[in-house]
This record gives sequence, structure tokens and C-alpha cells, in this order.
Amino acid sequence: LVGAPACGDVMKLQVEVDENGKIVDARFKTFGCGSAIASSSLATEWVKGKTVDEALKIKNTDIAKELCLPPVKLHCSMLAEDAIKAALADYKLKQDPNKEESEKKA
Amino acid sequence: FCPGCRALQPPGPRPDLFRLMDCDRSFRIDAQQLQRRFRSLQRAVHPDRFGQRPLKEQCYSEQHSSLINKAYQTLLNPLSRGLYLLELNGVEPAQETDSADPVFLTEIMEINEKLAEPENEDILEEIETLIKVKQEELTKEVTAAFERDDLQEAKKLLAKMKYFANLEDKLKNKKIPS
Repeated sequence: LVGAPACGDVMKLQVEVDENGKIVDARFKTFGCGSAIASSSLATEWVKGKTVDEALKIKNTDIAKELCLPPVKLHCSMLAEDAIKAALADYKLKQDPNKEESEKKA
Repeated sequence: FCPGCRALQPPGPRPDLFRLMDCDRSFRIDAQQLQRRFRSLQRAVHPDRFGQRPLKEQCYSEQHSSLINKAYQTLLNPLSRGLYLLELNGVEPAQETDSADPVFLTEIMEINEKLAEPENEDILEEIETLIKVKQEELTKEVTAAFERDDLQEAKKLLAKMKYFANLEDKLKNKKIPS
């Protein structure tokens, strides 16, 4: 769960990671402008099927380029990148090697 | 106005909005006094009164009038007033992603969710009251922070106010019959 203080947008990204460290499902909920919603939607699509380490490589610039975000909305893609990182950091923190599947939120 | 010929002059560069509205550079303001000053300034410079004047003065009148509107709106609203004060003190408003206070963000998320899909009319009233109470609380805290010159704390609180200001706008839009 992340927020952008400059514009007051909030973004929630949830990931489901299997025992192999692969992201099998992801969900988002964003309250904010269209660019913020689009950025989190794209981030959700992109992390699916990736490993945790691969997902951590996703950069806000990739998101912004794919969506052709105007300069004034670049911070939305940054928020999405931060949401991915926060979700995965949370997963790593709670990681229990005995569990087969863990559902982590950010 | 030019003291000699009484012609309207252009506004100065980078005006201090507090000085323009004759207010102390502080977070506490007298809203009545602000409004009086706003009206008296507009009486003097509004374009309606410059219809017969040379084009240059008409142009300056528009500039002054716009600037006064901007100053009034900025100082009237606690959030914009606070952010402007930070700016004057060389403190940048919060820019980086907020992930430090999950309890607060969760609360904002929940209010947003309820607002997006309200179960009934009463929920909207509840939310409206909640937002108002929170904004009043935050305004008090921001006032205290500025008074003890704690600009970093003011910055954090103003960031929280932004989330509630957005909620307030969304609520207003909900109430307008579509």
C-alpha cells in the first residue's frame, strides 16, 4: 500500500507468490488519476509470471514509456514501481519457507 | 498605481501573496480580514473598471485581478496556505512515495472504497462528517507545527491533508446529481 503525497493518490498492489518464488497472481486497487490507475494496471500485468527478482527489475521508466505518459504524470509510474517494490519487500519479510503459497500485500 | 498620473502599473515580479493581501506571513489568518482586503483590492483593479483606460492599463488590470484571485484562494484554503508557507521557507512539499505509515494509508484506502461503493445514503453522510473532523484535527496540528517552527512536521501533516482534500472533492462529485 503506497501513497503519493504530492497528488494524494493511493495504490494497493497484492501479489501471490508460489513456492518457487514465482508471482502467480497479482491484483491492484488504485484511487487516483487515470495515469495512476493505468500504471498500476500495467504493473499488475507485468509482474504476473515473473519471479520476485525479475519483478524487482521493473522500472518506472518502462511503465511510463509503454503508456506514453506525459511528463506531468511520470510520478504515477514511479508510484507503481514503488508499489511493486513494497509488495515484494513485504513478501520477503513474511516469507515462511514452510508455506507453499503466500499471499502478500503492499 | 503611479503616484504622479494615477495610471495603473504592472504587478511586480514574484509577489509575496501574504504581503499582497496584507496578512502576516503565518499559518494563522483572519479570514474576515482576508476577505475584506480581497474585495477592496478587486474594487481598485478589476478589469470592469478599466474599460475606458488605455490597453496597457487594461492588460495590467487583468494581471492584478488574476493575481489577487490567486492570492485569495491560496491563503483562504488551509492546505494551499500551508504548502505556500513551506515554499516561502524553502521547504519542498513531500514528493516521495509514502509507504511509511500503513495505518494511515489503509484508513484512506478504506474511506475511498466506501465512497466508491456506498451501501446507502447514510454512509455518505458519515464519510462527510469523518472527513470534516479529520481536516479540522489536521488543521489544528498544522497550526501548532508552524507556530513552533517545526516545518518538517508541517510538511508531513500537509501531505496527510492532501489525501483528505482529494476525498472531499470526490465526495462533492458524488453529491452532484448526474
